[in-house]
Amino acid sequence: MLLTASLATAQRAPLARLNKVLDAPTRTAVLAIIDSARVAGLPADVLVNKALEGAGKRADGPLIVAAVRSLAGELRRSRDALGHASRDAEITAGAHAIHAGVAPTELTQLRRSAMGRQLTTPITVLTDLVSRGVPAATASTAVLSLERAGLRDAEFGAYQRSVRQDIERGADPAAAATTRARGAALRHGGGTSFVTGR
Amino acid sequence: MRDINDTKLEAIVSELRRPAPFDATFDRRVMRAVRTVATRPLRLISPLMPMPRWRVYSAFAAVAVAMLAVAILPGRHAMRAKPVQFVLVAPQAKTVQVVGDFNGWDPSHAEFAAENRGGGVWSLTAPIPPGHHRYGFLVDDSLWVPDPAAPRVADEDFGKPNSALVVEDTP
Repeated sequence: MLLTASLATAQRAPLARLNKVLDAPTRTAVLAIIDSARVAGLPADVLVNKALEGAGKRADGPLIVAAVRSLAGELRRSRDALGHASRDAEITAGAHAIHAGVAPTELTQLRRSAMGRQLTTPITVLTDLVSRGVPAATASTAVLSLERAGLRDAEFGAYQRSVRQDIERGADPAAAATTRARGAALRHGGGTSFVTGR
Repeated sequence: MRDINDTKLEAIVSELRRPAPFDATFDRRVMRAVRTVATRPLRLISPLMPMPRWRVYSAFAAVAVAMLAVAILPGRHAMRAKPVQFVLVAPQAKTVQVVGDFNGWDPSHAEFAAENRGGGVWSLTAPIPPGHHRYGFLVDDSLWVPDPAAPRVADEDFGKPNSALVVEDTP
């Protein structure tokens, strides 16, 4: 109980901590970006955490401001791509995908193929693939195929682990992502919808 | 509904519209009354509502307890938080912290210090609220290490890689 209460306090106090860990010019610039994001209805907590991450990693003020500004833009593009009704977690995952090099149009396609379903996990897997060297277009095609095949979040997680292991063993990232996606879609009965490459 | 005679209604309206006469001492009398009230000692309970003193203190105590509970008890998200286990194999490490957006990227949280389970296996289980999270391991207060078992986040803005965690918002 005490642990949970303590953790809850830790999880609720990021904005107050921001005032403590940032110098005045950085704090002013960061708070202005956060206010703009909040007015625009974007998940501003994500920006607070980005600034805290910078402070925790002892980054310089200008670098922190640049990272927060960049993330604010990516959150906006992510929400535009995924739709304004998207959850904060989806918009956040989408912003990281865009940062990794995924085109916003790919996110829109993903949304269209998964109306009403939560996309946080598929987008997180997409970002992981790209960060492991899978070309963004190939990764998007693979994840879109899996989404169309109706994979659940746990199965997306299993797919991500398989691709990661293949790449760690020396496989070509694109080949690993494509081959594993085809197998997962087939297992799920959605093999015919898989489209390879771009 | 009861009908109101027009003549009576007009009489009432005209009476209401008639300016109320104030004598020259009106303002003075009002201000005197206000000053009298202001100079009285503050009484928390109106004389019209007599209440034993213990009840007043009980009410204050109840409000204080409620405010404390709101401040320290888990919020809506924390109530739905789910236990997540973090594991890192780091045989040479002296300390391992889990640091991420769920603890404000603050390495000083003792609750997020992983324990050495032997054989270089460090682990920690903590309740994490639903959502998309980013985190990493901080080894020996100096080395940032992504979770090798978790999806990566390509957001190395600060030169240190992060991992992603999705906690589902399900009951």
